[in-house]
Amino acid sequence: MERSARQQRAEHLPGHEPGVTRAASGRLRLSIRLAALGYLVPAAMAALVLMVGWELWVRLADVPVYIVPGPLKVLRRLFGDVGFFAGHGATTLMEAGAGFLLGSLVAVIAATLMAHSRLLERILLPLAVVVKVTPIVAIAPLFVIWFGFGSAPKILIAAIITFFPVMVNANVGLRAVDPGSLDLFKSLHASKTEILLKLRAPSSLPYLFAAFRIAVPLSVIGAVVGEWFTGDQGLGSVIIVAHNDLDTPTLFAAIFSLAIIGVSLTLATFYVEKRTLFWHNSFLA
Amino acid sequence: MTRAAVVLTALVAMAAVACGGEEPDPALDHVVFMAGFKAQANLPFVAAYVAQEKGYFETQGLDVEIRHASSGEHLKLLLSGDVDITTAAATSVLKRRSDPEIPVVAFVLFGQRGQQAYVSLSDSGMSTPDDWEGKTFGYKISVPPDYLAVLKSSGVDRSLITEVNAGFDPRILTEGRVDVLAVFNSNEPDTIRRLGFEVTTWEPEDFGVPNLGLTYIATEQTAGERGDLVQRFLKATLKGVEFAVANVEETLDIVLEYAPGADRDHQRFMLETELADARSDLTGQNGIGWMTDGQWMALYDYLLDFDALPNPFDYKEAFTDNFLRRVYDKGELSWP
Repeated sequence: MERSARQQRAEHLPGHEPGVTRAASGRLRLSIRLAALGYLVPAAMAALVLMVGWELWVRLADVPVYIVPGPLKVLRRLFGDVGFFAGHGATTLMEAGAGFLLGSLVAVIAATLMAHSRLLERILLPLAVVVKVTPIVAIAPLFVIWFGFGSAPKILIAAIITFFPVMVNANVGLRAVDPGSLDLFKSLHASKTEILLKLRAPSSLPYLFAAFRIAVPLSVIGAVVGEWFTGDQGLGSVIIVAHNDLDTPTLFAAIFSLAIIGVSLTLATFYVEKRTLFWHNSFLA
Repeated sequence: MTRAAVVLTALVAMAAVACGGEEPDPALDHVVFMAGFKAQANLPFVAAYVAQEKGYFETQGLDVEIRHASSGEHLKLLLSGDVDITTAAATSVLKRRSDPEIPVVAFVLFGQRGQQAYVSLSDSGMSTPDDWEGKTFGYKISVPPDYLAVLKSSGVDRSLITEVNAGFDPRILTEGRVDVLAVFNSNEPDTIRRLGFEVTTWEPEDFGVPNLGLTYIATEQTAGERGDLVQRFLKATLKGVEFAVANVEETLDIVLEYAPGADRDHQRFMLETELADARSDLTGQNGIGWMTDGQWMALYDYLLDFDALPNPFDYKEAFTDNFLRRVYDKGELSWP
């Protein structure tokens, strides 16, 4: 049987289980789809039960709308003006996406440097921890003063909040190479660049994707926090105005929109991870 | 008993004492007052601080718990019944009251003028709102109706001004990100001057805008069913204002007990600005805090004109001067 180039590449990657055939790949895809359904159906049921319970509580306890609106009111607000929330959501998504890419890029560069030098690790890691423990809401207003009213401060806040988990996992991943494989590369006189690109980078991908699953929703939170302090675009801005006006249906509709964005991004991350790490034991098991 | 058990018992006892606080005096009526922002020398906050520290609340048979809001939660807590009395700007009272589900009522008006003003750096050379054309204007959260009124009154073309939500940090002006900034008049102009910048100030009232400032509010239910308590609270706080007028420095001492670490001079600026804004011919005749139907009607009409109210409604529902009439006698506070 002729093997695809993809399969041939996969067999040479670290973490690959030998003997996986095209039929096994087909079974894998089917099982992933079934597993996805297995996750989606209970999640959808739980959401439905939560909504019904919430609506009943609001009605039976006569909770005023300015304290907590019922989900039906929120959904009416959301779908009654989809364009409004979609427009603001697109702004938030763009800022979060740009922040995630920027933060991840810087994090991977920093992790690569640290993976090659313990001295650099001792210099960079404490600085990274300082960035991590700095309350972002304390410095966000300053970002507006430094970088103006456009998307720049929001993207930078999203990048900062994304940076740490990606850097830590990338660093661990780049170091977590199979000692046997490393010995083999060294015995073949592979250069540091070859070891990085052909051994360390593939080995780090599972760690990196684990970090992305955390960092992607964090980037949305970063963008929203940035939008709280300035500008009139984005779901963060919608939330702060609605909060000021005691307009809880709009506030919750914006939160629903953020939830939709967050879940979609997480699923997209999972999909990309699955497509990228098809060769790894974690997906073959 | 082991040593560990003794230590544990002692810690539990200490925690119980620490958490227990003072038991409320059963002879006094308990009231929860929430100031609508952090502790500082806003006049309605100061009135409560002084009434507490000078024993005016106790004289009125009240045990008042003073709390502070940090992020605008005071109105929700008032409506949920966790807070009995809080502060709100008159404009905010009308906006909230236009929603029939938010039955709040103002019972005293401290600010005879609005809190908001507009500033630019003196170096910019701007002297009238006409100069705002071609410039960037920074507002807080949403475009204020009094800004629109100033533009209309001055014949300024709004389309020539770039409007941005600039947040609450006045350094946005000093760093040149905006040219004109909406500010709280008793606070930010002084902050900007302390940064080393002189400012030119425009107040909406000077352009005919009938703006009003801070009030105390309660729910309709509290004002109706616990009216006696509201009246005693009002009397004690107005006594606090009388004290503040006559004893600014001692009042600042009290403010700093609530706002430790705050800059005394800045608090003085705030207090003196707000005391000045609390005085008018009307309050000279009737007493500080006085308000009239005409003031509220003018504010309501102007907010309607600039589409600042979600729904039209009977503005008279938003305020009551019944308590003021009971605590003042020909402009003099009846005490105790």
